[in-house]
Amino acid sequence: MSSRTLTYGEALNEALHLEMRRDQSVIVFGENVTSGWRAATRGLLEEFGRERVRDTPITETAFIGAGVGAAILGLRPVVELMYIDFGLVAMDQLLNQMAKTRYMSGGAVGVPMTVRALYGAGTSSGATHSESLYSLFAHMPGVKVVIPSNPYDAKGLLISCIRGDDPTLFMEHSLLYDLAAYVPPEPYTVPLGLANLVREGSDVTVVATGLMVLRAAEAADELRTEVSVEVIDPRTIVPLDEEAILRSLRKTGRLVVVDEDYERCGFSAEVAALAAEKGFRHLKAPVARVATPNVPIPYSPTLERHLLPDKEKIVRAIKNAVR
Amino acid sequence: MSDLEIGRDDMLSLYRAMVRIRAFENAARRLIGEGAIPARFGFYTGQEAVAAGVCAHLRKEDQIGSTHRALGHLIAKGCDLKRLMAELCGRRTGLNGGKAGPYHVFDPSVGALGANGIVGGSVPMAAGYALSHQLRGDGGVAVAFFGEGASNQGGVQETLNLAAVWRLPLVFVCENSSTDHHLMLGHKMDWPQLSVERVSASAAAYGIPGSTCDGADVREVYGAAGEAIDRARGGGGPTLLEFRVHQLEGNLEGRIEAAAVEWDPIRLFRGLLMERGTFEGEADRIKAEEEAAVREAVDFALGSPEPEPLAAFTDVFGEGI
Repeated sequence: MSSRTLTYGEALNEALHLEMRRDQSVIVFGENVTSGWRAATRGLLEEFGRERVRDTPITETAFIGAGVGAAILGLRPVVELMYIDFGLVAMDQLLNQMAKTRYMSGGAVGVPMTVRALYGAGTSSGATHSESLYSLFAHMPGVKVVIPSNPYDAKGLLISCIRGDDPTLFMEHSLLYDLAAYVPPEPYTVPLGLANLVREGSDVTVVATGLMVLRAAEAADELRTEVSVEVIDPRTIVPLDEEAILRSLRKTGRLVVVDEDYERCGFSAEVAALAAEKGFRHLKAPVARVATPNVPIPYSPTLERHLLPDKEKIVRAIKNAVR
Repeated sequence: MSDLEIGRDDMLSLYRAMVRIRAFENAARRLIGEGAIPARFGFYTGQEAVAAGVCAHLRKEDQIGSTHRALGHLIAKGCDLKRLMAELCGRRTGLNGGKAGPYHVFDPSVGALGANGIVGGSVPMAAGYALSHQLRGDGGVAVAFFGEGASNQGGVQETLNLAAVWRLPLVFVCENSSTDHHLMLGHKMDWPQLSVERVSASAAAYGIPGSTCDGADVREVYGAAGEAIDRARGGGGPTLLEFRVHQLEGNLEGRIEAAAVEWDPIRLFRGLLMERGTFEGEADRIKAEEEAAVREAVDFALGSPEPEPLAAFTDVFGEGI
């Protein structure tokens, strides 16, 4: 393996540079995208100019809507929401217009648009800059939801989203931004709907997304002498690679779902329902969920740590499942 | 704009567009009464001069974003009457295969993008249409239609700002149907919805041109819209146009109440055409032609097949899943 490593943020940045070079119709806008405060959009203004790379006023409804309109006319906007929590300001444009326009129009128009958003807790940012919320978007028909957990996937999935014909919510955990790993320099795609088998095991299946993939792997490391843990990263929750999860469940018979999003009606519940409906006969133990309880994310690190899924909570859930 | 400045052919085209909308809506009302159209929805009756006067300046390559009272805009922008009526009837041959209905029609072939069921919902999207023209440098424009109620929506005000700072080729067209801001959907409200007399007052807040005109006079609409659309095409940025209109909903038979007749833009324009004499006979011929076209549209819609039930599952995504 080459020693070429990029951080998660640099991998996103490389994907944007490559796609903007390849396709004139790719445009980037959002709040402070030209300032370089985040690695993902660094240098785009300098290379591609102020027409294709634009800072927007702090008006999420207007600029998400502008992305929808531009996409309908065949551009490929990559629109940045500073935090996914800010998407709540623009739910009409995201979920009525962006998500439903293809269907409402009977396929007459499509919305090839990518919305990138920071998500996730663990930074003492409080209740409106820390949420995951991807389950909320996954609930609605018409949006693909992508949650890369490492630099390689970040680049390949973002390229897939930009080239794809559907609206996509692309979720970037703020604590993954500095994670570095090997990333090939050339453009490549990671297909949506294909899970990654992060680690093979035979005793228990752990399904985890985003930052939680790392936490699940840490838990599996800690337990390696006692329990053989299989870790699956769905990479995209819409579409969801159900077969990868069920295949693993057939092997292990035990399932732990680790999800930083809220527990109620969330992604963890969806995977548990999948196991109950299509994998029930293979289950040797109740499905366990390690998710964020249904309370807003607090500011104090002590309070925040108490709520969030972490290695210790995952270890406990795994031990409980194999008991 | 005086009628002397509008050429004879343009005058007749404006009249034809208005009459087409009225005839189509009257037919739709009948089909609702007969149960062939499965929903009730907002009609455009009384506002025809705005759609006709604005869209007369638009090319096929320009786009409009519309409202939940969209038939006038869609027809003036050139939607096929047969497929539009089939859509209202929920048929397979409808513009959107029966998935849109009156509130969500999209017809990219004529730039009608689209009706919208959310008050003010299409306005931010219209900024995207305008952005696309600006980036491609093709001289195209977009028009965002909305009502005075929508003018208060955050998305509309946000988009006025975005269009102003990006100098987008976007014309905002507010059809203000409330002569009394204590009215909403015809019901008296205790508190008003607007704190100012004119929606166009917002233009000053964003440093863009704005004006208020009589939306019952198609000549006024045509003049104001022409100027704003030319400015947008020429790189002069957005304009906020407000037209005062009177919704003459009438009833399911399409009769207009006697007291409202004086606001009927078609009657007003027809009177003017008659005064000019040169149009003797023309107006009646146009009306007859449009009514015949609408009859054909109704026949087409009613003769069209229902959608395949399994079509309910298609078009969620373009690829995969």
